[in-house]
Amino acid sequence: MIEDDIYRTSSQFRLWSYTESSLNTLRTTTNNIASERVRAALRRARERHLSATPSATGTPQPGSDAEEKDIECLTPEEELVLVRYYCEKTVELGDTYRPPLPTNVRATAIQYLRRFYLTNSPMTYHPKSIMACALFVATKTDNYYMSLRSFAEGIPGDTTPDDVIAPEFLLMQGLRFTFDVRHPFRGLEGGVMELSAIAQGQGKPAPHLPQHTPETLKEGILNLAPPAVPASSITDRIGRAHGATRELLKSAAQMTDAYFLYTPSQIWLAAFLIADRPLAEFYLDTKLGGPIDPSAMETDTSNTQNTLSELRTKLLQVLADCAALLQSYTPLSSDPDQMKSLKRIAKKLYHCQNPEKVNLKRDTAAPRLTPAGDGGTVTSESETERLAKKRKLEMESKQRGGHDVFGPELVPDRTRH
Amino acid sequence: MALSPFASRSPSLTVASPNSALRLKASAVPRSTGQAVATKAQSNPERELTEQLNDDVRRKYTKGKKLGEGTYAIVYLGHFREDPSSCVAIKKIKVNAEYKDGLTMDAIREVKYLQELSHRNVIALHDVFSSKDQNLNLVLEFLPGGDLEMLIKDGDIHYGVGDVKAWMGMLARGVWFCHENFVLHRDIKPNNLLIAADGEVKLADFGLARSFADPYLNMTHQVITRWYRPPELLFGAKQYSGAVDVWSMGMVFAELLLRVPLLAGMSDLDQISKICEAFGTPTEENWPGVTQLANYVTDKAVPLQGRDFFLRQFPTAGPVGADLLMSMCVLDPRKRATALQVLQHKWWTAEPRPTKNEDLPRKSGTKKMGDDLARRGGDNDDGPFKNAARQLDFGGMK
Repeated sequence: MIEDDIYRTSSQFRLWSYTESSLNTLRTTTNNIASERVRAALRRARERHLSATPSATGTPQPGSDAEEKDIECLTPEEELVLVRYYCEKTVELGDTYRPPLPTNVRATAIQYLRRFYLTNSPMTYHPKSIMACALFVATKTDNYYMSLRSFAEGIPGDTTPDDVIAPEFLLMQGLRFTFDVRHPFRGLEGGVMELSAIAQGQGKPAPHLPQHTPETLKEGILNLAPPAVPASSITDRIGRAHGATRELLKSAAQMTDAYFLYTPSQIWLAAFLIADRPLAEFYLDTKLGGPIDPSAMETDTSNTQNTLSELRTKLLQVLADCAALLQSYTPLSSDPDQMKSLKRIAKKLYHCQNPEKVNLKRDTAAPRLTPAGDGGTVTSESETERLAKKRKLEMESKQRGGHDVFGPELVPDRTRH
Repeated sequence: MALSPFASRSPSLTVASPNSALRLKASAVPRSTGQAVATKAQSNPERELTEQLNDDVRRKYTKGKKLGEGTYAIVYLGHFREDPSSCVAIKKIKVNAEYKDGLTMDAIREVKYLQELSHRNVIALHDVFSSKDQNLNLVLEFLPGGDLEMLIKDGDIHYGVGDVKAWMGMLARGVWFCHENFVLHRDIKPNNLLIAADGEVKLADFGLARSFADPYLNMTHQVITRWYRPPELLFGAKQYSGAVDVWSMGMVFAELLLRVPLLAGMSDLDQISKICEAFGTPTEENWPGVTQLANYVTDKAVPLQGRDFFLRQFPTAGPVGADLLMSMCVLDPRKRATALQVLQHKWWTAEPRPTKNEDLPRKSGTKKMGDDLARRGGDNDDGPFKNAARQLDFGGMK
C-alpha cells in the first residue's frame, strides 16, 4: 500500500476533488436552482402580501412594479466573491480569540465554507450566518474543544450561542457528513525537516537514487543558486522559505480553489516553488533525480530514470498550474476595486436573498417535516411580516452596536415589503 | 505526504501515481457530485440541492426491525433497496437534549474517522444521511457474529491458540491500518471487536478516536476503558502515540488466552497497582522520564518481570506467542512494539497456523451488535464492566 492509495480513499479525494470544468458546472447548477427558488419564494411572498392588504389595491405599491419584472439574482462568479470575503472574515474572527484559534482550525472552517457553497447558494443561506457555525464545528472536528457559550462570547457583537449553532445540521448536511480536511501544512513541516537534515549532512538519500549520499546532498544544497531575497546562511534560507510558504498556505491556498483542484502535497510544493524556486527544485531532485542530461539520453539511462524524468516533467507542470492559481490571489480587503465590486454584490444580494430561509433558528426549533416536493410555504403571512420586522430591528441594533467583526453593513439597511 | 510520488520503497510502483491519480480524479468526478447533481436539478427544482443529494442516499436503504437501543443511539436492521437480501445496520443517533453544543463529540469522531478508513478489519461506514427531525443515520456494515467479549465469556465455546491467532491477526491488521492513517482508536477492548458473518473481526466504536496530534500538542489522557488502559495514560501523559492502542491489544490478547481480563482494576489507582504487580514497577531506570508524568505514583517496588513470567503465565501461547505478548506489554511506550512490529512478529508464521475464518468458533450475536453499536463511545452498560472512561476531560487539553 502506498500513500497515494491511502489518499484516494479519503473523503477529500472521493467527494471534494474536481476538475476545473466540473467545478464550474456544479457551481452553475447550484446557482440556477437557487435563483429559481428565490424567484418563486419572492413571488409567493408578494402574493401573500397583496392578498393580505386588499385595501392597498387602489394605492400603487411603491417599487412593486419594478420588482414584479424580474429579480436580478447573483451570478456564480458573484457568489464566489462573496464566499471568499467571508472566508477572509473567518481568519479575522479566529484572531479575536485569546489565544487565537489555531491555523488548522481556521483553515478547516474555511474549507467547510467553500465546500458548503458548492451545493448551496449565498442567496439561500447568507454566509454571515454560516461562517461562525463553520468555525465552531471546526473547533470540534479538529480537537480544539471549547464550549459553545465561550465560543459565542468570543464573537464581537451580540451573537448568541443559538445564532452560532442554528445552522449546524444544515452545514453538516452540506458537507455530506465528511469532516476530515487534509491540509498541506504537515507536508510542509516534513519537507522542511528533511531539508534541514540535508543541510546538516544528515540527509537520507532516496533508495532509488543510489548516486546520492548525505555528502553530495549537503554539497548540493549549499551550492544552490541564491534565493530572490539574500539569506545569511542555509538555515536562514530554509527558515525564510518555510515562513513564506506557510503564509501562502494560510492565505492563497485557502481562498482559491486549490483544495478542490490539487492534492495537499501538490499545494505545498507549489507554494514552496513560489517562495524559493531553486530550493524547491532541489528538494524535488532529491526525490525524482534531476533532469536527464540530453547527451547521455541515448546511451545509459535506465528505465527508472526515464520514468522518473517523465514524472518530473508532469509534476512540474501541475505544480506550475497550482502556483499560478495561488499567485492569482489578492486579499479582497486590501484591494479597493475588489471591495467596490463586493459592495455592489452585497447590495444585489440584499434584494435576492431567499426570504423563506432567513431565520435559521426557527428551522431548528421546529424542524420542517416536509416530504420531498413540498414547495416550502413554510411561513405564514403574519410570520413573514413578523420576521421582517424582527430582522429590521436586529439590523438596526447591530448598526448602532458599533464594532462588529463582520465590519459595517455593506449596504445601508432597507426594509423589505 | 499523500500523493507524493516519493514516499515508498519501490519507485517502479510509485512513479505512475500522481498522474494516475489525476486520471482517476477526472474519471471519478462525474460519478460524484458534479454530474449527478446536474441531472437531479432538472428533476426537482423544488428541493435544495443538498436535500436532493441527501434524499438520494436515504432512498438507497430500507429500515427494518430494531436491533438495539442505548442512551446514545438506536440501531436498526436495514437493507439496500435494490437488493433486499443484503443487510446493513442503521445507527440512528439520538439528539442529545442535555448537550447544548450541537452534535456530540462521540458522533463527530465516529463519523469523521469512519468516513476515512476503509479496511477489511475496520467496520465499514457505507453512508450517512439525515432523516426528519434532523436525525443522523449511519449506515454501517452488518456484523451478526457478536463480539469477542461474548466468545470469551461463553463457557460452552471452546477455542484454541489457532483461533486466538486468527482473531489477534485481524485485530492487529485493523489497528495497524488506523495508525497508518494517523488515527488513534483509544478504546480497544473485546466488546468493541465485532464479528462479521464470515468470521472476520472488525474494529468498531470510533467515538473516542482522534488523529495523531502534531508534536508537542497535548491530548487528553482520559481515554480507553480502564482495564485496557496503558500505564502512561494512567500516569496522566498528555503526549502519547499508537503505543496506547498496542497496550490495549496486548490486554485483549492476554484475555483471549486466559478467558478473564488480565488486569481488572477497581479504580485507576488499583489499576496501576495491578500493572505493577503483574509486570513490575515503572522507574526511571526501566522507563526514563516516567517520574515526571503528572500522576506518577507507586506503592511497592516490584522488579521488572522477565520472559519467564510470560512463559509461565501464558503457556498456551507457546514461547513465541509469549514473546509477542511481552513486546506489547512493555511499560515504557517508546520501547513497546508498534502495530507494524506486531504484524512482523514470527508468531504469525509459527505453528499452529491461524484458523481459517470459516472454521472459527462462532455464535449468533445480532442483538449484541445492536447493543454494541448503541453504546456511547467509551461507555459500557452491563454491570461488571462499568469501568469506562465515560467523559472526556477537555480541561486537560488546554
